Amino acid sequence: MEELLELLNDINPDLDYDTVDNLIDGRVYDSLSILNLISDIEDTFDIEIGPKWLRNENFNSASAMWNMICQIREED
Amino acid sequence: MAFVSYRFLALIVILFVVYFAVPKRFQWIVLLAASLVFYASAGYVGLMFILATSVSIYCGAMGLQAISDNNAVYLKANKAEMTKEERGERKKRVQRKMRLVLAAVLLFNFGILCMFKYLHLGNVRFIAMMGSSRLLSVSLAVPLGLSFYTFQSTGYLIDVYWGNVTAERNYFKTLLFISFFPQITQGPISVYEDLSKELFTEHSYSYLNFSRGARRFLWGMFKKMLIADALAPYVNGVFANYGEYPGYIALLAAFGYSVQIYTDFSGYMDMACGISQIFGIKLTENFERPYFAKSVAEYWRRWHISLGVWFKRYLYFPVAMAKWNKKLGKNVSAKSKGFGRNLPAAIALIVTWAATGIWHGSSAGYVVWGLLNGAFIIVSLWTDPVFAGWKKKLKINELAFPWRAAVTIRTFILVTFIKVLPEVGTLRDGLGLWKHAVTKLGIPESFDAIFPDFIDYTQIFNIKLALVFTALLFVTSLLQRKKPLYEYMEKVPWLLRIVIMACVAMVIIGFGFSQSGGGGFMYARF
Repeated sequence: MEELLELLNDINPDLDYDTVDNLIDGRVYDSLSILNLISDIEDTFDIEIGPKWLRNENFNSASAMWNMICQIREED
Repeated sequence: MAFVSYRFLALIVILFVVYFAVPKRFQWIVLLAASLVFYASAGYVGLMFILATSVSIYCGAMGLQAISDNNAVYLKANKAEMTKEERGERKKRVQRKMRLVLAAVLLFNFGILCMFKYLHLGNVRFIAMMGSSRLLSVSLAVPLGLSFYTFQSTGYLIDVYWGNVTAERNYFKTLLFISFFPQITQGPISVYEDLSKELFTEHSYSYLNFSRGARRFLWGMFKKMLIADALAPYVNGVFANYGEYPGYIALLAAFGYSVQIYTDFSGYMDMACGISQIFGIKLTENFERPYFAKSVAEYWRRWHISLGVWFKRYLYFPVAMAKWNKKLGKNVSAKSKGFGRNLPAAIALIVTWAATGIWHGSSAGYVVWGLLNGAFIIVSLWTDPVFAGWKKKLKINELAFPWRAAVTIRTFILVTFIKVLPEVGTLRDGLGLWKHAVTKLGIPESFDAIFPDFIDYTQIFNIKLALVFTALLFVTSLLQRKKPLYEYMEKVPWLLRIVIMACVAMVIIGFGFSQSGGGGFMYARF
């Protein structure tokens, strides 16, 4: 989780990732920044995020992203 | 059955009575029956095609679900004894099988779409010998809402493939999801997760839903019949022979077209959402005051939202995240980090916008239209940081009204320029109209000089009325920035509210029906 928070802080250090839960719905991240974030997550965690995971609810908060990463690891 | 017709209104009244009279668990069956009646009224041949689509989608979804379920059962029993390599191998085998099913069903459905929309095979007359000397000649009309229901149903299938939704086991529920009558002609293109919840939930009669739905339906009719239909003769007439008129008339027709297509399409959406709301069903919103957008990218987040979401979900992201694309991005990043990082997204944008253009039509004009939209978005992606630096240096306050107004007007001009290109005739005609508008602009000598000679007195009156109504629409759009229109209406005393709605209805009946005669909608041809 700490590695993920580091990635997110690199993108926008002003956000409180413990509380923010509308990163996509609130248009904090656009589709381009999401693609860049996915690329970083894939490199950092050595996983592959397929298009099926690209749902707003998987990227709205840091904890949702972490749950997604755990699920992908479990599926592999 | 035209959406704007007394027959359609009669269908709604009958449906309303039956829907709330039957036991609630049968409500969706009533909707299915109404949808099939509505669809069949457009032709039985079209009905055969939508049935073929629904059967193929149902079988495909059930097939995908069976493969996925069997795999889950197998893994549950054997996962502990399998090595990582064995699991990987099995995953690949299962994916291959699922991909095959998905590809077959997609090919079948997009094949039908291409057959009608791009190869125009519906226009070929099939001739067969009847007896010894008679010939049977059949011409197939494009099935009603073909592009819309193909996209909606294939989106559902891809979601089942991805495991985002469970396949619907009841064929007739799948059929209703695909054929739900308020949205079949022009969308919105709904996502299964959202629409299925609305369609298959039991609904009680609600006065609030009824009054809001009826008001929204009326508002949609108002936009369609009193603005879009009034502007149509002017726009169509000038587009057909723009060279014969002064440039200012061509320019007015171009911007008139922007108003016409918005009021036509969003008017339909208001009517579709209004009808659905009467039955307690909430449809996806397709517009969010698009002409108030401050960039082309933002405009596309506000115009035909459901189509944008479809393309983003099922084309843009899969292309942007394809292995070959990511690899290309990484290779280029080694030489130029910034460019390489954004390259997969840029490629995906080009593919998506070319596809969006082709979705609208097969002519070169539509492809250029799509690519131009994509080009504006990509260029702004890459130049945004540069402009941000300039704005900082020049101390431009982006929140100040003059700045916001300027970028909104700029965006409106840009999107009008792009959207007129394929509509005049060929792409050359589209570019010709803009060239003519700019080089032969001129100044009208009087207000009446803006009306070409083919417009008669009644049409001039209708257009003048439409201008007043467009101003009213603009004001209501400004009000909607704070809260939905119905909230304003509900603050008005009920008696006055009834008087207002009665006046709107009378104006529609008095002026709207006389000029449109229940004419069709512009987006139905897509």
